[in-house]
Amino acid sequence: MVFKILYIFSCTLNEKPYNLEKTITKDTLKNELFSGGRPAVEILFHRYGGMLFSYIQQFVPSRAEAEEQLVSIFARLAPRMESAFESSLSVYCWLQIEARKIILENRSNGHDLLSPQESSPAENEKKVYYFSLLEDASPEQQWVFKELFVEGRQREELALVLNRDAAYVGDVLRECMIIIRKKLA
Amino acid sequence: MYDHHQKKAGLNIQQYIASGIIESYVLGLASPDEGGQFERLLPFYPELQAAVSDFGFQVELFAIQHEAPPPSDAFYRIEDRLRELPAVIRHTGTGSHRKKENDYVSVRESSTHIRVHKYWRIAFIAVFILSKLLLIGFIYFLLQYRHAERDLRALQEHTNKTSLSPDTQGSDK
Repeated sequence: MVFKILYIFSCTLNEKPYNLEKTITKDTLKNELFSGGRPAVEILFHRYGGMLFSYIQQFVPSRAEAEEQLVSIFARLAPRMESAFESSLSVYCWLQIEARKIILENRSNGHDLLSPQESSPAENEKKVYYFSLLEDASPEQQWVFKELFVEGRQREELALVLNRDAAYVGDVLRECMIIIRKKLA
Repeated sequence: MYDHHQKKAGLNIQQYIASGIIESYVLGLASPDEGGQFERLLPFYPELQAAVSDFGFQVELFAIQHEAPPPSDAFYRIEDRLRELPAVIRHTGTGSHRKKENDYVSVRESSTHIRVHKYWRIAFIAVFILSKLLLIGFIYFLLQYRHAERDLRALQEHTNKTSLSPDTQGSDK
């Protein structure tokens, strides 16, 4: 709530329009879903399609493949929009999580798991979406985030490569999360 | 209730929030154990709900800043994909009261519009053009018929006149 107020205030000072009114709440979605008006998938696509399209591009750098993933995500989520109401997250955050699950399911070209020393991310990779928030993180932290978030690996797999336990990987991930939180704030 | 639960859990909620669990949960990176524990605690701690809401808001702002226009035909492709779906399947919630996953959604039709396959467009255009051609043909032949009828009448009148004229009567005699 504090962040929302600060954001609106900063937008007012800079005379910039803020996009809060575009946010789709669960109530809006529920009303549309049960009123027989525009289908929920249409509303969500027109509001969140662009946001989700750039989110997808951190998983699939090819634009053509990202387009295909975007279509696949909305087509697969359309019959189960009601799941958004059961989630404790906002509609957009729910959409992001479901999108990531679908992308990881769809993607078949997974590469072999290399150690942090062997797999340093390319410079252009470091600037993509959430990676841009981890520029100051250590190579190990970047590696853990990339393998867990983008590649969908299990903590146990990374622990084996690092010769540590899964709890250690969990700790590194938490450090990444704290960096992301600070950068976003 | 809330104090009781906090004491019982022996949990320092601020420390728990600072541990990065909110971010892991919102980004979908919490392990099943962490996620389960978080969801159990969430209803009892307004601080957790506020932290989830705040971080979700920041994530959405970040997404708005990085928004890229999707391809123009994407929504048509989604609609095409949805038409190909054999049936709409409802996925109900988790827990002991979970219903069968393959329950069909009961659809209540309230729209006055219908959707048809795109091949109907070609069929409609063909029928429309054909009907116009038939209409033009009908008007053309109607005019031709009227014209011929008028000519015929004129010819009959002319014949009648020539048969009744005195010259013809005289020559007959």
